[in-house]
Amino acid sequence: MILQTPILALLLASALASAVALWAAWFGIRLLQHWDLASGSQRQLDLERRTELVSTLFGFVMLIEIAALFLLVFNADRMAALFVGAMCAVGTFNVNGWGFPALYLKITLFFAAALWLILDRVDRLGRDFPLTRLKFATILGIAPLVLAGFATELAFFLNMKTDVITSCCSKLFTPSNEGFAAEMTGLARAHALWLLGAAGGAVLVSGAAIVLRKRGERLFALAGAAFFFAALTAIVSVISLYVYDHPNHHCPFCLLKREYGYFGYALYVPLFAGTALALATGLLKTVANSDSLAGVQPKAIRHLTRLSLAGFALFGIAVLWSIATSQLILFG
Amino acid sequence: MTSWLRRQRALAEYTLAALARRRIKNTGLLLIYAMVIFVVASATLFATALRKEAEVVLAEAPEVIIQNLVMGRHDLIPGDVIAEIDGIRGVASIKGRLWGYFYDRLNGANYTLMVPLDPAMAPPAGQAIIGESLPRVREMPWETAPLFLSRTPGDLVRFDIAKRLSSDSALVSTDLILLNEANFRAFFELPEDVYTDIALSIRNPREIDTIVEKIGRLLPNARLVTRDEIARTYQKLFSWREGIMVLLAGASVLAFVIFAAEKASGLSAEETREIGILKAIGWDTGDVIAMKLWEGGLVSFGAFLLGTVLAYLHVFAFDAGLFASVLKGWSVIYPDFALTPGIDGLQLTALFFLTVLPYMAATIVPIWRAATADPDQVMR
Amino acid sequence: MISVQSVCKTYNEGRPSALTALDGIDLEIARNALTVFKGPSGSGKTTLLSIISCMARPTSGRVLIDGRMVSGLPERFLTLERRRTFGFVFQRFNLIRGLSVLENVLLPATPLGGERRADAKRALARLEMLGIAGKAGERVEFLSGGEAQRAAIARALINDPPVLIADEPTANLDTELAHRFLDIVSGLRAEGRTVIMTSHDPRIWAADQVDRVVSMRDGRLEENEA
Repeated sequence: MILQTPILALLLASALASAVALWAAWFGIRLLQHWDLASGSQRQLDLERRTELVSTLFGFVMLIEIAALFLLVFNADRMAALFVGAMCAVGTFNVNGWGFPALYLKITLFFAAALWLILDRVDRLGRDFPLTRLKFATILGIAPLVLAGFATELAFFLNMKTDVITSCCSKLFTPSNEGFAAEMTGLARAHALWLLGAAGGAVLVSGAAIVLRKRGERLFALAGAAFFFAALTAIVSVISLYVYDHPNHHCPFCLLKREYGYFGYALYVPLFAGTALALATGLLKTVANSDSLAGVQPKAIRHLTRLSLAGFALFGIAVLWSIATSQLILFG
Repeated sequence: MTSWLRRQRALAEYTLAALARRRIKNTGLLLIYAMVIFVVASATLFATALRKEAEVVLAEAPEVIIQNLVMGRHDLIPGDVIAEIDGIRGVASIKGRLWGYFYDRLNGANYTLMVPLDPAMAPPAGQAIIGESLPRVREMPWETAPLFLSRTPGDLVRFDIAKRLSSDSALVSTDLILLNEANFRAFFELPEDVYTDIALSIRNPREIDTIVEKIGRLLPNARLVTRDEIARTYQKLFSWREGIMVLLAGASVLAFVIFAAEKASGLSAEETREIGILKAIGWDTGDVIAMKLWEGGLVSFGAFLLGTVLAYLHVFAFDAGLFASVLKGWSVIYPDFALTPGIDGLQLTALFFLTVLPYMAATIVPIWRAATADPDQVMR
Repeated sequence: MISVQSVCKTYNEGRPSALTALDGIDLEIARNALTVFKGPSGSGKTTLLSIISCMARPTSGRVLIDGRMVSGLPERFLTLERRRTFGFVFQRFNLIRGLSVLENVLLPATPLGGERRADAKRALARLEMLGIAGKAGERVEFLSGGEAQRAAIARALINDPPVLIADEPTANLDTELAHRFLDIVSGLRAEGRTVIMTSHDPRIWAADQVDRVVSMRDGRLEENEA
């Protein structure tokens, strides 16, 4: 274990989140058993009041989890100086077997948290608690994620030893390797850009369909998800090269370093936000269909779509900017 | 959206008015809160500054140092090794270094005696350049007072002072005495052509590993220390001490959290009545919670700002007088230097997580309890 | 305008301390009328007032405002309904100490997110109409009983509700001030508002301005007087 303030902060946040998630899940079970909107009984009244508290608290926890994802990555990048062979966050996450699981869990939690927060917000707009049951059912699904996130994070930090020689990003993101990261790296650069462009086109068309014609929400969600993976692939395969001005440096984490002006955040923050919002439109179309949301749902979906498109657009601008200002010429 | 903003502004205004009405109670809370943050913030700011300092110092250190080992202990290294290594490609420069420690029986301090690597920096014969704490611990009466060093009882060697080092890099130079090579060898009675260790500078950092490997084969008995390793050790040391401090401060955070929860749940009759009135005249539970969150937010923000600013002053203007000894280390000679002021986003975020989060967590349930008061209770 | 249908209210349901405050009330309240609930303490008139004004939910039965069912609404929306429909004047006025008259009057508008300056303008106009505009900046602790009540009335009207609810409004006032209060209420009715109040003050039951007195005992209606 390396005692460091950011690590202590992350562990504290996760511990608090776990405690709240457990409590919220326990309340969720009670709610699913006894929820009866028709009753004016004291128990129903208490349940209704308590949903206010649990929703607020759990929403708070979800916000913390979103912030914690960034703290985790930022801290990992900073800690790379402590490990032999580590140049960036990859080395830190690779220090033991728990690093990447912890990161992936936090990313999953990010999306779960964003979707849950949007569900919560829409639920509060309906007069008859339209999504409350669903909201608490999802808490039952998210709570284990929060706990698993805490456990892996704890294992990651407790098993950190600085004398371990870890592998640098150049060993992970190289076409000659086997595995997913290497596949992404090895994808032909032109293909990666075409893929990204196609996904971007799909996002734009389906997004426009929602805003103008009020349809195609699920398609937009799908396109958003596809864009997310296409974007990650393109970052590893091409975009990173432009940022580093180097034909063989593929690492998607070095982008987050100060040396490159923290450019990675300009890519990842809008990309993650845009994707989460796109997923939310599909979710709302699927679940928010009660009468009490009839006036709310289409407006909310269009609003989310616009925000999501704005996120993707910011990502696109960042990509174009990195290509335009790069010294590197890959095509032509 | 504008209506949302206006609502928040109106709530904030009301909260400010409410805070001002209970000035004494809230100032007390704010001060205690700020003090807790001050302790944690001082520790992190100080450790961050120390890590920066070490980085600055190490930036000029040689990439690799070769030490001779005899029976596993550091020993003098013969000068002919230099010629052997000189052939290896990638080595930009190679120099034998002379340095050693001297125990001063007068005051129990340990000095580091050293010959500068750059001959132009070396003082003329019979003179010395000294670190900034030496005049202090030796109580030198005037600026150019000579330095007398006594190796054995009865022995006395005199050095005139050529220069005093500034305190820019005081953490490592504070106990330093720089001599020229001839004086150094004479002082320690060293034979010609041995060195304390050998410093290499290597231009391309990617080649360090290969070069170290080659030298390792050439000199199987030598120990090779790279600059990165030293940097890591410093980082670890300071981070660890910081962590210990923060953990200790955690106890005070905990105490404060209990205090805050107590405060929030034991609302005075006056406050309970007010919340009842607000609910009765049309405020929603959510409005009351939002108002109370504003209250918590304003108090937290104020305390965070106050605590951090005070910690900043404490560390950078007053040299962290309260616990510098814990973080720097134990030695007769404490470096006396001003740290380069700097604030680090990551540390601040971590600090925020560590102090504001527990406060929020401790107060939100009592807030909710107060906010769910029945609106019709003022009529009963 | 407001329709109460077989409403029951039991406190501490299912416990030994259970108390039935209302036992099957049916009542229609006319628009733009002044209705007074009278009865001894414990007769349930305040409970009925709080259920009518969306402050509490009935244990059973229905409440409709302008044909909209409000009795089954979640608390949050009940509050919305209440804000939109009712203004309140309480027996002890319930002004918040330490704030000025104007700040008190603005309180109900605070969480609505309206234009602050327009709100303040309306508040001042209302205070002017009630004759205490000169006290707008003064802290409420320094008001006399009659002034405090008028500040409370101004506060009740800041969001322009169609119905004014008053709980024992004249209990702490002398005869002259009680008559002043009834005059103010007449003025409000002239603006088209409905007024509902509880009172055990005979001066009120006998007043000309009152349209209807509803008499209650042990959680039931006793008789209606025209």
